[in-house]
Amino acid sequence: MKWNVGTKISVGFGVTLAIFVIVGTISYESVTKQTEAAAWVAHTREVGNQLDQLMSAMQDAETGQRGYLITGADSYLAPYTDGAGRAEEVRRQLAQLVADNPAQQARVQALAPLVTEKLSELQQAIDVRKSRDFAAAQSLILTDRGKKSMDAIRALIREMIGEEEDLLKVRAASAQSDALEAKWTIVLGTLAALILAGLAGLMITRNIAGPLKNLTGVAERITLGDLSTAVTVDERSDEVGALNRAFDRMTRSLRTMAGAAEQIAAGDLRASLQPQSPNDVLGNAFARMTDNLRRQIGGIVEGAAVLGAAASEIVASTAQFASGASESAAAVSETTTTVEEIRQTAQLANQKARSVADSAQKAVQISHSGRKSTEDATAGMGRIRTQMEAIAESMMRLSEQSQTIGQIIATVEDLAAQSNLLAVNAAIEAAKAGEYGKGFGVVAQEVKSLAEQSRQATDRVRTILNDIQKATTAAVMATEQGGKAVEAGGKQTDLAGESIAALAGSVSEAAQAATQIAASSQQQLVGMDQVAGAMENIKQASTQNVASANQLETAARNLDDLGRRLKQLVESYTV
Amino acid sequence: MTDPGAEAERILRARAQALAQPTSSAPPSGTMLELLEFRLASERYAVETRHVQDVHPLRDLTPLPCTPPFVLGIVNVRGRILPVLDLKKFFDLPEPGLTDLHRIILVRGNDLELGVLADVIVGVRSVAAGSLQPSLPTFEGIRAAYLKGIGEERLVVLDVDAILADPKLIVDEEVDS
Repeated sequence: MKWNVGTKISVGFGVTLAIFVIVGTISYESVTKQTEAAAWVAHTREVGNQLDQLMSAMQDAETGQRGYLITGADSYLAPYTDGAGRAEEVRRQLAQLVADNPAQQARVQALAPLVTEKLSELQQAIDVRKSRDFAAAQSLILTDRGKKSMDAIRALIREMIGEEEDLLKVRAASAQSDALEAKWTIVLGTLAALILAGLAGLMITRNIAGPLKNLTGVAERITLGDLSTAVTVDERSDEVGALNRAFDRMTRSLRTMAGAAEQIAAGDLRASLQPQSPNDVLGNAFARMTDNLRRQIGGIVEGAAVLGAAASEIVASTAQFASGASESAAAVSETTTTVEEIRQTAQLANQKARSVADSAQKAVQISHSGRKSTEDATAGMGRIRTQMEAIAESMMRLSEQSQTIGQIIATVEDLAAQSNLLAVNAAIEAAKAGEYGKGFGVVAQEVKSLAEQSRQATDRVRTILNDIQKATTAAVMATEQGGKAVEAGGKQTDLAGESIAALAGSVSEAAQAATQIAASSQQQLVGMDQVAGAMENIKQASTQNVASANQLETAARNLDDLGRRLKQLVESYTV
Repeated sequence: MTDPGAEAERILRARAQALAQPTSSAPPSGTMLELLEFRLASERYAVETRHVQDVHPLRDLTPLPCTPPFVLGIVNVRGRILPVLDLKKFFDLPEPGLTDLHRIILVRGNDLELGVLADVIVGVRSVAAGSLQPSLPTFEGIRAAYLKGIGEERLVVLDVDAILADPKLIVDEEVDS
């Protein structure tokens, strides 16, 4: 056996793959040929179909012409026009379809003049029938010109259909033989590939899997920490042999490593282990570990000495700290008491501020009612002014009426004077009448005395009227002064109202300020409570501090003990 | 025997009747003068009613130029244009000025009709002709000429006939233009 394992596996699978490739290629070619044959069959059918359509179009044209010739009605010409139009189009499509076959191409070329000839014959007959009569058209048909060309077209189309069917038969036979050949190739090729693959698998199992199983058992034991197992080394030159040798080296190296670890565990750090290679992770780590251990033990020895000294110092410091904590606890206790006093003061201040705010609120209400009262007073002054105006108007009317009375009195006086004069005249007349006028003279005297009484009465009335007018004037003056006084009073009331409104505004602002002061004082009180709470916490913390300091002192002593013991422990190591 | 009450009543009745008698001054002997009394300034004057036509208030007095001071002017009384005399000029009385309270007394006599200014008309009264006393010695000149007599309470009775007959009343003056 000169081949290694990789070569063996490659050869086995390579032969199998080659057989599969050959089989696949043959199958592909066969399928391609089948597809082509099917396409040709479709082509042949298409050509046949087109030929049938051409024939049908020619027959339609002829049928339409015959119908027209017989009837002379234009409605019969519809099949003719339709067929004539379709014939040329179908012929062109046919020419494109048979472009791959020269023989068929030639036949299509030959078909073109025949179709044209037939169509012109049909048109001629129709023209004759249209311009002349049925007999003339019949004689034209009887020349057999149309029949001949139609027969030639039929023959040519039959020939083309036959040609296409022959071609189809040849192609189908060829495709059939190709398919048979491909079937056999696939069956035989697959069988050969299966046999070869089975042989290759059997050989690989026998040659490689056995030794690997042995090595796996050894590796399991090493995993469990058992390094006593030895690997049997044979002379195999392939990868399995190399694996065996490598395993042997690995177990030996591990054993060396275990010996060194045993030494270190015993406290002897002088052993130095050489790494197997620069990539030997475990060896390098071992070497670094022993070096580091050596350095660390040295460091620990020094550290233990320093720790001892430091622990002693810590003991001293913690003693001082404990006494300091006690002092600070006392100070904190005093501060807490002071804060409590401040808190009580703040509480008092808060109560005062609240009562001030309440008073300010009451003042606001009072000032509001004051403002309302001044408004009422203003309204009252307005009513008084209105009434004063009414009084003044009444006084004016009174004055005017007393003047009227004065005029009336003047008239009455005038009347009295005239009456007096008339009485005198009457007396004169009576005197002239002599003895007979005596009685009349008495009457005249009476009239005169009446006139005199009237005059005296009017005099009294005038005196009274003068008094009334004086009184009225005085009343008018008084009314005017009263109006002015009311005006001034109204202004004063307005001023007072404005002042009270301003006062109400100020009082309201003061009330707001008092409310804010009360709120601030409340916040201050809360803050003081928090401060007191915080001081209480600080006090507790300080008490705990004292306890901690005592504990710390104990711990420092323990630490000191620990340092001393550590020093003794480290001294057992040989560096 | 008489009832003392009836006696007393009879006495009282007699007294009452005696008291109820009008105190008529002794019936005037002789003729009675009917006088119209009026005042000028504060003095009392009177004229006989037989000369008086009637009394009017002084209205619409039109002063006349070129007349003696005692002619106040002319007035229209019921369509008649009459001159008005001011007697105060004759008797040297103070002039308080003219008002519509002044009256004019229309007098007629000797075919002459004119108005006499009076401050106040007192009224008509009867005076016995015999009770008038002759003119006071202090009156002289025109006053004595116009005076008829002095009655009770210094009532000056004017002689209208004498006044109307006075040629001074006829005014005939020309003004040289």
